Amino acid sequence: MEFGPILRAMRRNKLRFGLIVAEVALTLAIVANCVNMIMTARTDLARPSGFEDDSLISVYVFPFEKEFQDGDYRLTQTREDLTALRALPGVASASNTRLRPWQGGGSSDTMRPLGSDKEPLRTQVYCADQDITKTLGISLIAGRGFDEQEVYGDPNRASVEVIVSKAYADLWYPEGDALGKSFGTEDAQSFRVVGIFDPFYNPYGWDIGNYATFFACPSGNYDNGIHFLVRTVPGQLATVYPTIEPRLLELHNGRNVQMTAIKDIKSENQMGQSVIVWSLNSIIALLLFVTAVGIVGLTSFTVTERTRQIGTRRALGASRNDILRYFLLENWVATTVGIVLGLAGAFGLNIVLVDAVSAQRLGLFVPLAGTVILWMTGLLAALGPAMRASRIAPAIATRNV
Amino acid sequence: MLTYNARIALKSMRRNPWMSTLIIGVIALGITISTSFIAIYHLLSRHPLPSKRDTLHYVRMDSWDPLHPYPGDKPTPPPQMTYQDVRRLMQSDIPVRQTVGYESRLYVYPDPKVSRPFRASTRMAMSDFFEIFEVPFQYGGPWGREADEKLEQVVVLDQATNDRLFGGRDSVGESIRIEDREFRVVGVMARWRPAPRVFDLTHDVFQPPENIFIPFNLLEAMEVFSQGNMDSWGTPSGDGYRAFLNGEAAWLQFWVELATPEKKQAYADYLHAYTLEQKKAGRFQRPIDNRLSTVSELSDEWGIVPPQARALAWISFLFLAVCSLNLMGLLLAKFLARASEVGVRRALGANRLAVFLQHIVECEVVGLAGGVVGLLLSVLVLALFSRAFPNLPAFKLDTTMVAASVVLSLIAGLIAGLYPAWRICRIPPAAHLKLQ
Repeated sequence: MEFGPILRAMRRNKLRFGLIVAEVALTLAIVANCVNMIMTARTDLARPSGFEDDSLISVYVFPFEKEFQDGDYRLTQTREDLTALRALPGVASASNTRLRPWQGGGSSDTMRPLGSDKEPLRTQVYCADQDITKTLGISLIAGRGFDEQEVYGDPNRASVEVIVSKAYADLWYPEGDALGKSFGTEDAQSFRVVGIFDPFYNPYGWDIGNYATFFACPSGNYDNGIHFLVRTVPGQLATVYPTIEPRLLELHNGRNVQMTAIKDIKSENQMGQSVIVWSLNSIIALLLFVTAVGIVGLTSFTVTERTRQIGTRRALGASRNDILRYFLLENWVATTVGIVLGLAGAFGLNIVLVDAVSAQRLGLFVPLAGTVILWMTGLLAALGPAMRASRIAPAIATRNV
Repeated sequence: MLTYNARIALKSMRRNPWMSTLIIGVIALGITISTSFIAIYHLLSRHPLPSKRDTLHYVRMDSWDPLHPYPGDKPTPPPQMTYQDVRRLMQSDIPVRQTVGYESRLYVYPDPKVSRPFRASTRMAMSDFFEIFEVPFQYGGPWGREADEKLEQVVVLDQATNDRLFGGRDSVGESIRIEDREFRVVGVMARWRPAPRVFDLTHDVFQPPENIFIPFNLLEAMEVFSQGNMDSWGTPSGDGYRAFLNGEAAWLQFWVELATPEKKQAYADYLHAYTLEQKKAGRFQRPIDNRLSTVSELSDEWGIVPPQARALAWISFLFLAVCSLNLMGLLLAKFLARASEVGVRRALGANRLAVFLQHIVECEVVGLAGGVVGLLLSVLVLALFSRAFPNLPAFKLDTTMVAASVVLSLIAGLIAGLYPAWRICRIPPAAHLKLQ
């Protein structure tokens, strides 16, 4: 092998090889951290709600006629609305709840089992009716859902039925025996677990995306409006969507209807992340391209400069393959030195990013993958100029220029 | 001499168009990426109210549950204030201006010929709000402080609502019905899109401001609930709006303008004294944690600028560094390829400095060309981003960013060119002449 001559040649052309080393090192450091950030963003993007997001529509009704200020009137109208929504062609299920998946928030409260003196734990809390799990498209893994009497029963009753997500039930009852237990908040009422559902994920400001408790109660008031979640038959969202508002206004014209498809809320919620992933991907691709161009340029330059030497070596018996191997090896040495420095740089940059922008820690896999990619890039970039070098005729040694 | 060198540079670029395109392309790419991401970060992170950098303060106090701290990673008071505290604190005359506010939605009942009733996003605010946050007006102006005191039913409309209700004409003095009361229009705002929404940083900070603004003090009479974030603990003693106001719900954003550091100290003392007094009355049982935060302090604490924007700005800067290294290699190759030509120049009497300058000028011409192409491309990239984020204010290059990007391209050209130019000017003239 020609390590000796290669190292001596590199020592004499410090800058040229220094450039390759520096470029490869910086590129590896940046690429590894970009990939790391992409992987973090991807896990957020890939996280499913567990609901049939593509078929869900959130419907908010804001009354302006004063009769809606009367609770009984409002409730009667809400139940009429629900009957009408469920009867619309293409609607699979409808529920009266304020939950609006993927909105990035909602309402939450802290609870603990009755009689417990442990620190109460936070859960998302929403009123819901008997059709909530059917509408979200999730299943009850234990117990039952609400029945209609419970939902429209006396709101001030001592014990209110609740269904909780498996993740929240497991927080308190890791043995899986939450069913039938009662929770309390700071109010006097207690909440009896009649069912447990799974899965559930609705991103929230705090880390309580998987924790949810539905209470058996109607949702809505005059000031904040009345809220429905509607699930259409798969693929029928577009046909159902325009029929909802006219139907509700036909029932009562003294209000406004505001609708949003959950898939739109979701894509808006994830827009930031997906644009970041897209940006990082472009930066990686452009960076590898620029580095490859740099290696091609510098290697071509080296080949041009050494034309006479190559000719001489060929004239003295070196084969084409020897020349090819020499340049590829020389490049490999420079790339590898760059990679070693780049690995250190990658972890260094990661420390800064973890500190400054709370990035995730860099594992071993990403830098190693980056190493392989840069070796390949270096090899492919050097291949062209090295082939050109190997085709230099021995006779060139005898010429003057 | 400069024009002569620039002419040589252009000539040299024309001679090897493939190489020149590559060189300019590399630097243009670096400038595009770095300008775009630095501009995004610059726009998201610049101070929304530079003139009030040191004087405007957001007030928080730890009125939270004695048994549990306010939830979060770090010990912090609740992000907003209770009604009872704000009512008392507003009696101070230490702040030059102060405003308390929150977001709600109220029904507007226009002339039935114009439109159906609609819910308008509403901000409850004090008269000082408009001056504190430098709201521009198209017609009329803010209501006066006496309107706050006398509970006058006055309203300021944003441009869109004025267009909707009055077809965009000067509606000052007109009357509109909000819920069940008649309000008099006193002002119509000109287009106003502060980013972030500096007056309410509690959620969705890049949403546009509310549509209508009415005096905060009307909240008791109209029983206006908040549509923004609210944190509460404990059970209010009794039912209804009054009990809610007297409870421990933290839901109001309270801003004070403190003209000097002495005033700030005086106000901090005032808050401290108030807390001690309340402690005696049985409230504020947690350790005292009163905060007077400037807009920058609050933005930092609440992470208003998306951290990824900063990460991307740094990464894009490193990207430019790689492009610059690359450029150095390309320039070195290009310059050394014409060593014999330089030999002729040197032999004919040009000194090293002249040769050095000639090549540095060529580097800067290349850098500038790349910078201009990069600037144009980054306008495109930013337009793409604006389309991807319809909720954010449009990303545009301001003069600072254009200047910064030109300077960046000159620096990149200089750094990349220094060594190659030095190298070429040190070539002994004879070495390359004798072979000719």
